[in-house]
Amino acid sequence: MSAVQPSDELPREPAKDEPRGGPTVLRIMLGNQLRRLREAADITPDEAGYEIRGSRSKISRIEHGRVGFKERDIEDLLTLYGVTDEQMRAGMLALARQANSPGWWAKYNDILPEWFEPYLGLEMAASLIRNFEIQFVHGLFQTEDYARAVTALGYGPVSTDETERRVSLRMRRQELLTGVDPPRVWFVIDEAALRRPIGGRQVMRAQLKHLLEAASLPNVTIQVVPFRRGGHAAAGGSFTILRFAAPDLPDVVYLEHLTSALYLDDRRDVDHYMEVMNRLSAEAHTPVATTKFLKEIMQEM
Amino acid sequence: MTSEGSPPDPDPGDGTPPPAHEVALEIDTSVAHVARVYDYWLGGKDNFAADRAAGQQAIEAYPDIVYSVRANRAFLARTVRYLAGEAGIRQFLDIGTGIPTANNTHEVAQEVAPGSNVVYVDNDPVVLTHARALLVSGQHGHTSYIDADLRDTKPILAEAAQTLDFSQPVAIMLMAILQHIDEAEDPYAIVNSLLAAVPPGSYLAISHPAGDIETEAMAQMAERLNKLMAEKVTFRTRPQVARFFDGLELVEPGMVRVQEWRPASEIEAKSPAALWGGVARKP
Repeated sequence: MSAVQPSDELPREPAKDEPRGGPTVLRIMLGNQLRRLREAADITPDEAGYEIRGSRSKISRIEHGRVGFKERDIEDLLTLYGVTDEQMRAGMLALARQANSPGWWAKYNDILPEWFEPYLGLEMAASLIRNFEIQFVHGLFQTEDYARAVTALGYGPVSTDETERRVSLRMRRQELLTGVDPPRVWFVIDEAALRRPIGGRQVMRAQLKHLLEAASLPNVTIQVVPFRRGGHAAAGGSFTILRFAAPDLPDVVYLEHLTSALYLDDRRDVDHYMEVMNRLSAEAHTPVATTKFLKEIMQEM
Repeated sequence: MTSEGSPPDPDPGDGTPPPAHEVALEIDTSVAHVARVYDYWLGGKDNFAADRAAGQQAIEAYPDIVYSVRANRAFLARTVRYLAGEAGIRQFLDIGTGIPTANNTHEVAQEVAPGSNVVYVDNDPVVLTHARALLVSGQHGHTSYIDADLRDTKPILAEAAQTLDFSQPVAIMLMAILQHIDEAEDPYAIVNSLLAAVPPGSYLAISHPAGDIETEAMAQMAERLNKLMAEKVTFRTRPQVARFFDGLELVEPGMVRVQEWRPASEIEAKSPAALWGGVARKP
């Protein structure tokens, strides 16, 4: 399972005041910095791991931003890498403390699978979110009723309380779209996801109406791939590409499975998904034509 | 989404895209394309391996290309600001849109003059898809998109007429695009055919990579790009670029290096860039 592979650009100052940064992206940025410093000092992951009483895989997790940081580990690594400048050390430690503070979703920990938590952080921090969905309407655009129906499909007959907590987490996520400095959201949806009456026709009709309203937000672009197109770009499944404003943060491809998820940011992987996404967007109805198409589907529902 | 504001359109520049197999053929990431190479120079993330390789080769020949493209974007923003402000222009025909970045034409124009209408033209399907999705006007005007090649101005003018009123002044923006038209394709006739379609009081804004600034490095960059990039380049000298403005009234300071055209600061005026640029009014 790959994860955030740092890009090979020149080191830059991390953007400490990233507006919606959230802990995940801070961890990735700090991890990136630590990797650059380690490589600049010509120290292997094994040596670095030994220094902090761990293994090379611990270093890898830290550098990929997959885990929280212990301040003592950061201090020891900085010393090993020859970083003596007090200001720089203090800056990086401050970043580590910030990166360890929990996101708003921490209170949903009991229902959040550990593989999904990083996604929430990335979603909150993204400047552009591109998504292709073949099965469902994306979580950011679901109505409460639709979300309830999808949750029931995914988790089976669980307690009402748990379902409601899942729905409430999803609704909380959606505040992102209308909050301060919202991300650009560019979604391509397969016609199938809009024809399948999840939760019944009435729920689905309301869902389609909600989608139409969302499409009128200035930061939202929705394109539908009609049945008669899209074969050539066949993605094989839904996927999301997250982009961040900071120039040295690579795009991240998020792939969700039933019991796990993949976070890809190797340039070759990202390029491949980006190419498929571009084709899908080119083949889909234009945003203007999509509005018309959505209305038609709604009438037929 | 693009149809807020004026005018009530049938479907301007937003026709149904071609069938899937045609698009699939047109999008080729195995060869470098100028819009994505440009994106790479600007530090964007919408480029692929072939684009990065070509972009890097160009940087090795002419390292200042990364400043040049930034200076060109800044020139675009300053010219649009001038045109929408001082010159009172409300209609823009921007040919060679490129992948969206900061300070796109409609953003600058509509910030200065809400209600400005902008038509973007490009022949790269990836650029068009991005433009349709991301270069969207708010309530402050109208934006539309045309899939066309500068070499064929008739369809551009016909489609643009659905959004722009050609009885009123129009600013024709040709930013770093004419270098892709070689002499055999007669770029001067192309520009003249565009100018012939707009009324007196219209403007022409051009930036063009120079064949007589940093001559050796630029020539080497051109040679490398012409080997690696789908679109070929012909860099032109000052008199060659000036010819595009024949019969027009150049506004101050005339045709100069783009960084010297009404720079916002001393530093901006001194940034290295090897492009000629100017803005002229049709009398």
